[in-house]
Amino acid sequence: MLKKSILFWLILSPLVVVILFPFGVMFVSAFRPREELFTYPPTWTFSEFRWANFAEMWVKTNFGQALLNSLYVSVLSTLLAMILSIPAAYALSRYRFPGKRAYRTFLLMTQMMSPIVLVLGLFRMMVALGLVNTLNSLVLTYAAFNMAFTIWMLQSYFSTIPRDLEEAAWIDGAGHLTSLLKVFLPLAVPAMAVTAIFGFINSWNEFVLALTMIRSSDGFTLPVQIYSQVAGRYQIEWHHVMAATMLATLPVAIVFSWLQRFLIRGMALGAVK
Amino acid sequence: MASVTISNVGKAFGTMNVLRDINIDIENHEFVVLVGPSGCGKSTLLRMIAGLETVSNGEVRIGERVVNDVPARERDIAMVFQNYALYPHMTSYGNMSFSLRLRKRPQPEIDQKVRDAAATLNLLPFLERSPRQLSGGQRQRVAMGRALVREAQVFLYDEPLSNLDAKLRVVMRTEIKALHQRLKTTSIYVTHDQIEAMTMADRIVVMNGGRIEQIGAPLDLYDRPGNLFVAGFLGSPSMNFLKGRMRRTQGKAYVETEGGIGLPVSAATAAAENQPVICGIRPEHIAIAGEGGLPVTVDVVEPTGPNIEVFFSLAGQNGSAVFTERHKFRPGDRVALHWQPEHANVFDAETGVRL
Ligand SMILES: Nc1ncnc2c1ncn2[C@@H]1O[C@H](COP(=O)(O)OP(=O)(O)OP(=O)(O)O)[C@@H](O)[C@H]1O
Ligand SMILES: [Mg+2]
Repeated sequence: MLKKSILFWLILSPLVVVILFPFGVMFVSAFRPREELFTYPPTWTFSEFRWANFAEMWVKTNFGQALLNSLYVSVLSTLLAMILSIPAAYALSRYRFPGKRAYRTFLLMTQMMSPIVLVLGLFRMMVALGLVNTLNSLVLTYAAFNMAFTIWMLQSYFSTIPRDLEEAAWIDGAGHLTSLLKVFLPLAVPAMAVTAIFGFINSWNEFVLALTMIRSSDGFTLPVQIYSQVAGRYQIEWHHVMAATMLATLPVAIVFSWLQRFLIRGMALGAVK
Repeated sequence: MASVTISNVGKAFGTMNVLRDINIDIENHEFVVLVGPSGCGKSTLLRMIAGLETVSNGEVRIGERVVNDVPARERDIAMVFQNYALYPHMTSYGNMSFSLRLRKRPQPEIDQKVRDAAATLNLLPFLERSPRQLSGGQRQRVAMGRALVREAQVFLYDEPLSNLDAKLRVVMRTEIKALHQRLKTTSIYVTHDQIEAMTMADRIVVMNGGRIEQIGAPLDLYDRPGNLFVAGFLGSPSMNFLKGRMRRTQGKAYVETEGGIGLPVSAATAAAENQPVICGIRPEHIAIAGEGGLPVTVDVVEPTGPNIEVFFSLAGQNGSAVFTERHKFRPGDRVALHWQPEHANVFDAETGVRL
C-alpha cells in the first residue's frame, strides 16, 4: 500500500514540479527585497520576509480598485449565469421538447469557439449598447460565455437526481414549485456550487475581453491591471508584480477550498439512491 | 378508501402503443396485483392511475370521480416506488411527515401519525436517521410508512420488494398483506414475480404485450388458465405443454402425440376430434403409474429440498414432474407416469385459448 503510493508520487513528481515551480518563484519574489531579485546564481532563500512589498504594491498599482472591479464582475456574472442556467438545465434534463438535441449541440459548439474570434463583434455590440468601458459589459459577456458550460454541467448533474423523487413529492401533495424548492433544489445545491466555482474562476481569470472592453485604468480587472505593470514599461517592478499576482490568486484559492466539500459531495451525488 | 375503474384505457408514447384497451374494475378494499413479463406496461398503467403519466385513451376513475385530468397531488393516492424514492436530504421522520407538513397539519397530529406508522413498521429506533444510514429493508419500510401516514384512498406499489434479498422479500410480502388485512385500503400492486402475485392478491391481472390476458382470483387462474400464456406464466416449475391431436374413444378423451401415445384429458373439453391441441399438465399433478402409464425417459433429476424435480422426455417432447417422495431415479431410467384427466387442460394449438 505504502510502496504503491510512493511509486505513484514518484511518477507524478515531474508534473508536481512543473505545476509548483511558478508558484515557488512567485512566492519567493513577492517577499524579497528588490535588490535580491536578480541575484546570480538564483537561490530560493531571502534575507528578510518583506511584507512591505505588499503595502507598496497595493498603493502603487491601485490594487484595491482592480480587486473590487474583479469581484464585481465575477460575482455578478456568475450569479447572472446561474440564474439563467438553472431553469434551462432543468428543462433540458426533465422535459422533452422539439429541438432539444439541436439545442444541446449548439451549446457544445459554442464551447469550441475561442472568445478571441468573437472579440471584435462583441466590442461593436457593446459600442452599440453604449456599454463600452463599463464593467457591466464584462458582466454580460462573461455570463454569456459561461452559460454554455454551466447549462451543460448542471444538466448532467440534474439528470442524476432521480425523477422519482419529484414524482414522490407530487404524490405527497406538493405542487411543481414546492417539489422544486423542497426536494429538487436542496439536492442540486452541491452541483450548483461546483458549477458556480468554475464560472467564478473563469470570470476571475479572463483577460482578452477585459483588455478589449475596458479602456480606462479605473475599470481594469486584476489580470489586466497586473499585465499593465509589465507591458510597455521601461522598468518592471517584479517584486510588486509577483505580490499582486499572489494576492490575485488568493480569492480563488479561498473560494475553492471553502466550496470543495460541495465538490466532493457533488461528485458523490450519483451514489445516493 | 375508494374503488378504481379503468375503462378502455390506452397509452401511446409518440407513435408506439404500449397499452391497448385495458378494462379493470377494482372494488373498494380489494388488493389487485398486476403481473406480467418485463416491458408489458404494468408500470405505465400504474403511473397513469397515479397521475404521473397522461391517459391517451379511455377513462380512469377513482371512486366516482374521473381523474384523467386531475394532477397527481389531488388524487389522494399513495405510492411506493421500486427504488423507494426517499428524499435523501430528510430523515426517516422527515420523509414520513412530508405529506402532512405540506397539508399544514398541526404538529401534535403529525407526530402522532408518524409515530403510529413507525410503531407498526418497527421503525421507531430509526426515525432520526437519513435514508443513507438505513439498510434496504429499513428503507423499504420508510417508503411504506410514507404511504401509511397519508391514509390515502388508494395505495399503489411498483415492485416495492424487487430490491430486497429473497428472505426479506418473503417477510415483507407477509407484512404488506397483514397490513392490508388491517387497513383494508384499496391496493394495486405491480410485480413480475408470479409467487408474489399468487400469495398477495385478491385478484390477479395478468398482462402481456400491453394487453390483459386474464383477470381472476389466484387459484382460479392457476387451476383454469384462460390461455397458454397465463398457464405458462403462473406456477413454478411451469406447466408442461405437450402437443398432439384430440381423440375420443368410449367416452374418454385423449391427446394423441406424434408417437401415438394417448395423454388423458377431461372429456368435458370442447376440442373437436382430430383438432391440433396442446395438453397442459402441471408438474405436481404427475404421479408414478403402477402399470400401463405413459412411458418416459428420465433426463435430469434436481432435488430442491421439499421436492424432487424430474425432467423427462415423452415421445420426443420435454416435460417435468415434481415429487415429494424420494424416488431414486437416474438419467436414462425408463419410468411410467400418469395423471388425473381432470387436472389436464386442453388448449387450441393455433390460438392458445383454453378449450
Ligand atoms: N417515457 C417513455 N417513452 C417511450 N416509451 C416508454 C416510456 N416509458 C415506457 N415506455 C415503453 O413502454 C413499455 C412498457 O413499459 P413499462 O415500464 O410500463 O413496463 P413494465 O411492465 O413496468 O416492465 P418492468 O417489469 O421491466 O418494469 C416498454 O416497452 C417501454 O419501453
Ligand atoms: Mg416497471
